[in-house]
Amino acid sequence: MKLTRNLAAAAYGVAAAAALGTLLSACGDFLKRDPVGVIGGEQLNTPTNVDGMVVSAYAALGNDHWITPYTSMWPYGDVRSGDAYKGGGGTGDLNDYNNLEQFVFTTPTTGVLDQMWFRLYVGVGRANDALRRLNEMTEAEYPARTTRQAEVRFIRGHFYFLLKTMYNRVPWIDETLPVTDYERTSNVALTNDALWQKIADDFQFAAANLPATQAQEGRVTKYAALAYLAKVQLYRAYVQNDQHTVTSVDQSKLQQVVQLADSVIGSGKYGLTADFAENFLWETEKNREAVFKINMSLADGTPNGRVDMGNGLNYSMAPGYGCCWFHIPSQNLINAFRTDAAGLPQFTTFNQMSLVDSADYWTSSVDPRVDHTVGIVSHPFKYDATFVFQPTWARTPQVYGTHSSMKELQHPKCSCLMAVGPFWASSKDIEAIRYADVLLWKAEALIELGRQNDALPIVNEVRARAASSTARLKYANGTPVSNYNVKPYTAASWTQEYARQALRWERRLEFAMEGSRFFDLVRWGVAAQTLNDYFAVEKTRHDYLRNAQFTAGRDEYLPIPQPQISFTQGLYQQNPGY
Amino acid sequence: MSARRDHLTNHPRDGAMGAMRRMTPMLLLCSTALLTPGSALVAALAVAAAGAPAALQAQEAQQARQTQHRVTGKVTHAVTGLPLEGVTVRVQGSSPAATAVTNTEGSYTILAPSLTDTLVFTRIGIVRQVVAIGGRDRLDVALQPAAVSLSTVAVVGYQTVATEKLTGAVTVANVNEITATPTNSPIKALQGRVAGLSVTAGGDPGSTATVRIRGTKTLGNNDPLYVIDGIPSTSSAAQQIKTEDIQSLQVLKDAASSSIYGSRASNGVIVITTKPGAGQPVKITVGSHLTTSAYATRLQVLNTEERGRALWQAAINDGVDPTNLPIYKYDWTRNPNGTATLNRVIVPEFVGDTSLHIGAANTDWYNEITRPGRIQEHTLSASTSGDRGGALLSLGMYDDQGTVNGTEFRRLNGRINSSYNFFSKRFTVGENLAITHGSGIPMPSGLGGNPLALGLIAQPILPVRTRDGAWAGPSGAGFDDRDNPVMLIDINSWDRNTSLQSFGNLFAKYDVTSHLQANARFGVDYENGLNRDIQRRYRAGFLRRDVNSLNDFNYDNSSWTFNSTLNYAREMGRHSATLLGGFEAVKSDFSNQRTYREGFAIESRDFFVENAGTGLQAVGGDRGGYSLASFFGKADYDYDDKYLATFTLRRDGSSRFGQNNRYGTFPAVSGGWRLSKEPFFPSQYLISDLKLRYGWGKTGNQEIANNAAFALYVPGYGDDKTWGPSNASAYDINGQDRGTLPSGFIRTQTANPDLRWEATTESNAGLDFGLFGDKVTGSLDYFNRTTSDILIRPAYIAVVGNGGDRWANGATMKTSGTELTARYEHTAGALTLGFAGNASAFRDRITGLPAAVVRSYPGNGEQTILGHSVNSIFGYVVQGIFQDAAEVSAAAAQPGKAVGRLRYRDLNGDGKIDVLDQRWLGTTSPKLEYGLAPGASYKAFSLSVFLQGVSGRSVYNGIKSQTDFTSIFTGANFGTRVLDAWTPQNRGSTIPALSLSNTNDETRSSTYFVENGSYLKLREVVLGYTIPAHALPRSMSALDGSRLFVRGGNLFTLKSSGTTLPDPEVPFAAYPLPRTFTVGLDLAF
Repeated sequence: MKLTRNLAAAAYGVAAAAALGTLLSACGDFLKRDPVGVIGGEQLNTPTNVDGMVVSAYAALGNDHWITPYTSMWPYGDVRSGDAYKGGGGTGDLNDYNNLEQFVFTTPTTGVLDQMWFRLYVGVGRANDALRRLNEMTEAEYPARTTRQAEVRFIRGHFYFLLKTMYNRVPWIDETLPVTDYERTSNVALTNDALWQKIADDFQFAAANLPATQAQEGRVTKYAALAYLAKVQLYRAYVQNDQHTVTSVDQSKLQQVVQLADSVIGSGKYGLTADFAENFLWETEKNREAVFKINMSLADGTPNGRVDMGNGLNYSMAPGYGCCWFHIPSQNLINAFRTDAAGLPQFTTFNQMSLVDSADYWTSSVDPRVDHTVGIVSHPFKYDATFVFQPTWARTPQVYGTHSSMKELQHPKCSCLMAVGPFWASSKDIEAIRYADVLLWKAEALIELGRQNDALPIVNEVRARAASSTARLKYANGTPVSNYNVKPYTAASWTQEYARQALRWERRLEFAMEGSRFFDLVRWGVAAQTLNDYFAVEKTRHDYLRNAQFTAGRDEYLPIPQPQISFTQGLYQQNPGY
Repeated sequence: MSARRDHLTNHPRDGAMGAMRRMTPMLLLCSTALLTPGSALVAALAVAAAGAPAALQAQEAQQARQTQHRVTGKVTHAVTGLPLEGVTVRVQGSSPAATAVTNTEGSYTILAPSLTDTLVFTRIGIVRQVVAIGGRDRLDVALQPAAVSLSTVAVVGYQTVATEKLTGAVTVANVNEITATPTNSPIKALQGRVAGLSVTAGGDPGSTATVRIRGTKTLGNNDPLYVIDGIPSTSSAAQQIKTEDIQSLQVLKDAASSSIYGSRASNGVIVITTKPGAGQPVKITVGSHLTTSAYATRLQVLNTEERGRALWQAAINDGVDPTNLPIYKYDWTRNPNGTATLNRVIVPEFVGDTSLHIGAANTDWYNEITRPGRIQEHTLSASTSGDRGGALLSLGMYDDQGTVNGTEFRRLNGRINSSYNFFSKRFTVGENLAITHGSGIPMPSGLGGNPLALGLIAQPILPVRTRDGAWAGPSGAGFDDRDNPVMLIDINSWDRNTSLQSFGNLFAKYDVTSHLQANARFGVDYENGLNRDIQRRYRAGFLRRDVNSLNDFNYDNSSWTFNSTLNYAREMGRHSATLLGGFEAVKSDFSNQRTYREGFAIESRDFFVENAGTGLQAVGGDRGGYSLASFFGKADYDYDDKYLATFTLRRDGSSRFGQNNRYGTFPAVSGGWRLSKEPFFPSQYLISDLKLRYGWGKTGNQEIANNAAFALYVPGYGDDKTWGPSNASAYDINGQDRGTLPSGFIRTQTANPDLRWEATTESNAGLDFGLFGDKVTGSLDYFNRTTSDILIRPAYIAVVGNGGDRWANGATMKTSGTELTARYEHTAGALTLGFAGNASAFRDRITGLPAAVVRSYPGNGEQTILGHSVNSIFGYVVQGIFQDAAEVSAAAAQPGKAVGRLRYRDLNGDGKIDVLDQRWLGTTSPKLEYGLAPGASYKAFSLSVFLQGVSGRSVYNGIKSQTDFTSIFTGANFGTRVLDAWTPQNRGSTIPALSLSNTNDETRSSTYFVENGSYLKLREVVLGYTIPAHALPRSMSALDGSRLFVRGGNLFTLKSSGTTLPDPEVPFAAYPLPRTFTVGLDLAF
């Protein structure tokens, strides 16, 4: 009995050992579970897939969102400039943007700033990933290699330009730098000018290697690169010291700006649209004024379209929209559209009277661009006489008044408009560089070069187009909405000083609410004075601005996000004042 | 001789017989082999054999004069099925007491005055049971082990072990305590019942509980491992088990106990065993429990007129003309000295554009979305057992119509457990199979949150419906984009989540020899579910959805587990040892598909199938899985029941780890010393039992993504851009504006081939005690735990761009704590008093983090989270409200400081308020958690009370930004607290002056929002009545558990007077824990 038991035990033991052994040897395979539905990095080095990586870099151009808007830049370029209030459901609604508006509470730990920094480097990273693969290929394997390299460097240059103008001291990471060195690369490794040069190099390479036209209209061209390079050189021309004070203006850079702008202008491919409105309507988005455009789309198989979510908060409470009424033109900006009897801006007195009621637009004469830019109570909205702006379209009138922005919004009936959750966005392409920009950069360079007389016809060309852009600004009965009066400047009083003032005014009106104003002010070195003058008056109109104050030497640039300083163990240096 | 016998009766655990009884089932089978002449064991057996008849004879003689009815029967342990010796059987109410004690076979014979009498079975460590004789002369009962006991058995680590031999921290829960609780999850009902087990759950029907054993251990997944009938499983399977089907539930708290489960045990283990077939010939139980529920607490918010007043005050405070305020008009005056007086709030007739016909109202939204809830539970089971096997069939139905309109959860449970014995019970095969069907309407989520949140913040001036009967909604100026909560519930009422889960195993055990047993189990866990989301068109105020859609999410989760063990047990004199060796393999897979269709012409529930839509269609799907392979061994040794030792070793391999570190090894060692068995130990009564325990062990954690170790690129065509930036790779490069776009690839993850286990080492010192002849029993534990190599996916430097995510072994956390459990029971005649209590206190802190990620946690450069709990709150200290201009100018520089505003303390005294003026404000993990359960029974009546509480816990009460401020969410409703805000006339207020704009950044993290989250709750009171046998028809002789009860749940809450939280347990706009009343009837026959 005992023997049989022991035998049985032994038998079981042997069987169990055999089973264990089998399992052990099989374990290697049993525990090998390769991922599904994904691929490794090396599998991408084929012409088709590298082409996909280039598309992926393009895709980054439009991947922004109202948390990190970098196609429209409204919180960074307008809300910080005195052109716009934050808007929304109150000052606490997206408080980080309220802090940007008031320049008081923004800190290195402000959340949206870190997100923005990250998203911009996502764009840089995608470009670097594509470039690394392109560099490995031969022209024979992939005939489009050089063109694609140029496109990708354009995209990288674009993201660096945004980083540079927002944060100033940013680390330069390109495709040659090993990933292991990323955390060892400081944001002050390059001097201010060396960093600008890197950005310029990208556009220079792009300009040299891109074709004048591309078969696919979404790809960047030689002239887009030349225009962008002009923009870069114009920003560089205003030399800043470490306190962000403009100490000199580099004449040779200005010369380059003129030459670069002339190449674009001379190409004959571009011009101002007949009506200012064509730049802000989906129906006319393919127009000759768009030099560099970021494409949007919908009904494209993605969950809610590749629409311009950077503007997703900016639609008003109007029937047909419903949310969220951010990006509200300031009273100061609206007043800037007032013109005198000569049809010229009122440089010194513009803000002494406010355009409030509909009647005010007849007591004063105004630049027609105000009705292309601002939603005004009882004025037709978005060129539709039956779609009249109501006070109820404003969400928190007690804080921010009753206007709304207009340029970036599309009409509720536009097939380009879609609801994304509670938000609204359209497939209207973003015109990142308009021909008007190229013209005014050139004019600005000429004025700073002392060639203001050469600039005069350029400024007047822009004004003339504004003056003639009234056809869509009519009530149902055909009468004009406001008393429009815009005239060209005359040579008589066109001194350099006057021309500079006129140019800067013109930029404000032409590009109002398009996200560039703050960067213009910093470039010119006038941000502190302009904003503190603005707050002095505007706080009497809007109590919430009572503590707002711009600190010179600090607020020209955003703080370097604290998490990024932490990742580098303090290698990144904080911007002054934070 | 007689003294020895008395001793045996009083302390049946002591002596050689106790050793016999405590052996594992397998040991008992082989007990005859140990009976060598002359051993202590034989002597003890002889004593016991002689003792039982002697007692009986004495009893017979004493009671000979009366009419006697002889009742015999056998008492078995309900968990193990083994005979229970030493159980005292008493005829209830008899005088002098007629008693008997069961012998080694568990048999007893008692002489009862009448066959309508009732027998009471008691024994230390066993739940007292009262059974009516009901005319029978044979009465077999199976007794349940008590929750805290030194002399019951626990199912731990592939084995059954007598708890008195345990050397780790293991608590056997008393499942009987929770059978009256109306709940969809047995785990929820354990809240506060087990020291060291934290259970948190909201009131949402169908929601599951969050379970933490000994607090937070890691930065990732803190869920314990569930082992059901020997098969490691998931929380989802465990929380679907019907409470009535649970035979035993034990909580393995320390690493020494749980390390045998290796790779997944670091968060503790909950071992659940379901009931086997039991009962002769057939035991039938039926039960019905009916519950009504209603919310017990709510936030108080403003009515229409009050909200108008608050806004007016805010405008006046800001110097803004109230005429500019949207929605309301005001009749107000300003007297010459500048004081403004509000005479009347003028509520307009219509809200927004009059064409919308939204008449102004005074809606109590919370009332509009809530209702009295109702829960029904019905159970039916049939169970049988015999020499050749046993079977249990159990059916259950649970239906919870929650207190929020439209929320419901229904579940059907079916279970078949059966086993078959062969070769004189040496070979057993069987299966446990549970099939569960769940179906519920999920809580909808809309703009502004779920209906509960919206019910608090929706403006009272909005009606539910317009005058035309359409949905009303935010309209015009002054409103936020917030959904009408009543509408939100209505348009989501066709949504439904259904799931079918099959969980079960086949098992076989074979007694190879009297010392050696082989076990094998094959378990399957399969879940298939469909989440159906129908988005209907709607229009409410300025909010609308013009395109309807159907989104079906179909998923399959399956896993199988195979494990096999060999157990060897041997006793040699006073030495006793068991050895266990085994292996386990797990393979787990998931797959899912999503189908989306837009454009349904007709909006009726049944029309929403994919084929009926005409608009955009989209599909998505994924699959993946992981595998585990493990080997383990365990050795137990004890000498004379006094000195106990256990060694465990497990080696685990997981597919989730990098190929360089695929395997991990998890050892444990523990020992125990039963002091009370030493000859030198003084008293056998005052301290009737005392055991010291110490254990050390290491466990692992593999809770990371299946693909964690790999570098990955995905074709990320497009993604949802609603709430965040896109990571899409498609671009309209052809400028077509629509249609299929060219697309590329995106890097999503960086490889880490060195990824390895996260490891927890824990030491535990414990003390088990019995006092006053085990009237008081309990245990005390102290543990100290370090979790290192914590698996994190740290934030990474931005310049890496897409795909910098990389799983890594990074952080270290330490936790230490103390647990106390005590139980007391005293019987005096027909009255029994009992008390059970437990308390636990933990402290966790992060001790190590990679330098680059420290700043991802709260802190300010000077101070970091290191050394603090991961649940810590960091922020500013509010030093009251600025009372006047002098105070403002004298205070430190603080951007936004003004009269009526919050004043922040200049902690570092540098004259300005900035990020450095912050400190640690508290932690959201409680310092102390406790449960108290007094109870009493008298004859057929029983009363049990359960109190549960936490203390030393802070809550970050973020909802104060809505209840206390008009400046943050200006388009929402506010709390009634704003009516008492600071004004020059109300300087005593702690609520800052109302304003339309937040110019002082008062939403910053500060003591203003940190509240005392301590509470003590009267969780339940149950009054029960055991139905006497004569009340039932003869054929339905009540066995045990026939009862009628009423129960009140969540009856009363004590909280700190300083807190503004309606219910500190569910601080925010979470589903309120309802107050419930239950009537239940359970019959067994």
